[in-house]
Amino acid sequence: MNLRFDERDEAFRQMVRSRIAQILPWDISDRHRRLLANTSHLHDQRRWFAILDAEGWSVPAWPVEHGGTGWTALQRFIFEDEMYAADAPEFHWIGSHMVGPVLYTFGSKAQCDRFLQPIRDGREIWAQGFSEPNAGSDLASLRTQARREDDVYIVNGSKIWTSGAFEADWLFCLVKTDTQGKPQRSVSCLLIDLRSPGITIRQIRQINNEAHLCEVFFDDVRVPAENLVGEEGLGWTYAKFLLDHERTTSSFIFWIKRELTRTRELGRTVVRNGRQLIHDPIWSGRLAVLAAEIEAHEWSVLRVLSEESSGFPITAAASVLKVKGSEIQQSITALQVDALGEQSLRDYGAESLDASTDPIWPDLYQGRTSRALITRAATIFGGAQQIQKNLLAKLALGL
Amino acid sequence: MDFELSEMQQMVVDSAERLVTAETGLDQWHARRKLTDGVDPKLWVKMAELGWMALVIPEDAGGLGCPMEDLALLMIELGRGLVTEPLISTSVLAAHVLDRALVSERRAHWLGRIATGEVRIALAHEEPHTNGTIGVSARRIEDGYMLDGQKAVAFDAPSAGYLLVTSELEGTSALFLVARESTGIATNSYALIDGSRAADLTFASAHVPSDGLIASGAAADRILNEALDRARVALIAQAVGAMEVALRITAGYAKERQQFGQPIGKFQAVQHMAADMFVAAYQARSALYAALRDIDGDASKRARSVAMAKVVAGMAGQTVSRNGVQIHGGYGVTDEYVISHYYRRLLVLEKQYGGIDLNAAKLALCEAEA
Ligand SMILES: Cc1cc2nc3c(=O)[nH]c(=O)nc-3n(C[C@H](O)[C@H](O)[C@H](O)COP(=O)(O)OP(=O)(O)OC[C@H]3O[C@@H](n4cnc5c(N)ncnc54)[C@H](O)[C@@H]3O)c2cc1C
Repeated sequence: MNLRFDERDEAFRQMVRSRIAQILPWDISDRHRRLLANTSHLHDQRRWFAILDAEGWSVPAWPVEHGGTGWTALQRFIFEDEMYAADAPEFHWIGSHMVGPVLYTFGSKAQCDRFLQPIRDGREIWAQGFSEPNAGSDLASLRTQARREDDVYIVNGSKIWTSGAFEADWLFCLVKTDTQGKPQRSVSCLLIDLRSPGITIRQIRQINNEAHLCEVFFDDVRVPAENLVGEEGLGWTYAKFLLDHERTTSSFIFWIKRELTRTRELGRTVVRNGRQLIHDPIWSGRLAVLAAEIEAHEWSVLRVLSEESSGFPITAAASVLKVKGSEIQQSITALQVDALGEQSLRDYGAESLDASTDPIWPDLYQGRTSRALITRAATIFGGAQQIQKNLLAKLALGL
Repeated sequence: MDFELSEMQQMVVDSAERLVTAETGLDQWHARRKLTDGVDPKLWVKMAELGWMALVIPEDAGGLGCPMEDLALLMIELGRGLVTEPLISTSVLAAHVLDRALVSERRAHWLGRIATGEVRIALAHEEPHTNGTIGVSARRIEDGYMLDGQKAVAFDAPSAGYLLVTSELEGTSALFLVARESTGIATNSYALIDGSRAADLTFASAHVPSDGLIASGAAADRILNEALDRARVALIAQAVGAMEVALRITAGYAKERQQFGQPIGKFQAVQHMAADMFVAAYQARSALYAALRDIDGDASKRARSVAMAKVVAGMAGQTVSRNGVQIHGGYGVTDEYVISHYYRRLLVLEKQYGGIDLNAAKLALCEAEA
């Protein structure tokens, strides 16, 4: 056991930190700090990924032959940590963490040639079309159908909760290609151009005023058969590959650490009963407990990253990261709301604002409540909390 | 002890239930966002006609002289329908302040105007909490007072004709009654997350005539604290109503929504979340009753009971709204499902006039002194 980052890791951290500081345009990080929405501005995200791509850093985890960096898991951890700390836009993870890995693992050479570069440089943005109105936790009951006719699939049905579909270019979509055979072999993975005729996209207004979630309707949409990923009927295999491939993303550790920094900043900015909030024992006591939880959470992530052999299946450890990570996301944003007291109740709308000139409402206040509201979704998306706990009880404890 | 409703109370509850059922729902809440000051004037008139503004105003000043229990029952009904009309600011908070601060004809005049729904009054008390901002202070001038400084998040101020402004004056507290649109007062209005409105108020050499000072010193503090506690009880009652409905809506959803070939309400994890909501809502109503018992009593006992209820109802509101959203899955975080509106309203009700943490701090002081 060696529980320390070594000198090379530290040197690596210094190197990426100073390079990010050089190449991250200040207006992007400035806007990013004042975001009301839960996701970066797409425009900024595209710009930033073009910059990272030029640096060779836009898809660190990919194999080197597909543009990856060859960094160790720990170095990638450090890099992402530094990206968040610098208030850079986050990865557009559907492209970089899902579609890319599936394509270079199971896709055709033609698909790799066509799709990987635009993911690397942010030119093409992907959405994930898994959930349907009646297939949420019970994803296996999805019904969107793709019927093969010569060299096209004709797609009919609908998807819901498709984050960002209204501004994305492509959809990574699970469809039913076989309505008769075995359910395990009935689902396939299609790459669908979101500008195809027959697609209608409706944005769904959210609890925090944003309308990032979408409903996508397919009415006889023609998808070239060459956009089938791998083999017909292996959709679940690829979906499962993704889960095994991405074990630590759902920890949201970098997001959480950035919010911890913000929370501390709030503690120094807000004055309550004539003193800085950080000196209020009730509030700072909660902050302290949460900071302790976050430190342990970070270590949990490092353990999973290093594939520590714990005697439990590694997927159980991944569920630990999701359960704890989503809880912490909700606690830390709630603590921010509590810091603002009555001032947390202001509705800022959905559009990010210019820098504040009103001392009553510092920039730091904007977006805190909006984020806290939508963070209720952290225990819903990507496997609801109850499903995760069912899974944990079974996987880790055999219950 | 008797928990049954009197005839008068049943009447209030029934009329409120009818109006709330007719006047609220997703469409109405969405429409309210477009109102300039957050108030639907027709609804306001109807509420006044039903006698709601007059409910706790003493009979000798044109009111119905009902006890706070009756008001709480009305508020529970309004909470069920997420009614955010500024009833509490005007007919609970301001009504109490003016009842205690004014005398004879002037008292009858103002309380009468409140009782008929003719006037709306908002409290401007909280001050900004950041560096670079200054609270309100007053100084005496020849023909009255001059006010300078800022107030933040004055609930319901955008639709109010008058403001009750707390201020420092010659080293003690003072309470002023001023017309909101006087020279020297600037209003910066905005919406809150539940669709109601608030404003920051900037006083720049705002001139207030001599009779605008309605209370000062210890009396001003006492009257304000009494009025705020009554307003808090009204908020708690609204929260109780909101919780009870959120609970019903969520249970209904859990019975309807099918996953894995059965209603999600069949899963124990969902049942336990719903049961926790039920326990929380039950506890909140109990806390409300405890606060009501002490609302007209001894000041320190009253303050303690109201803080207790604000803490208990605040925590209950979190449990109910969080579990309610969670059980709704993705639908829970949309504006299109009512549960998210209950979530937002319960957050406002928790924070307004002091959230869980501020009230817990008050209680901690009580414990230390006990
Ligand atoms: C902000 C957000 C972004 C999203 N982005 C995407 C996206 O980009 N692409 C995509 O495909 N999907 C996306 N989703 C969808 C997400 O994956 C689903 O919301 C999730 O799978 C839950 O499904 P549901 O919403 O239908 O809830 P339901 O499955 O209906 O669940 C409702 C409640 O019942 C509980 N429940 C259900 N089954 C059980 C059980 N067996 N035991 C115990 N409890 C149970 C759940 O835990 C939950 O509390 C997103 C969702 C959100 C909220």
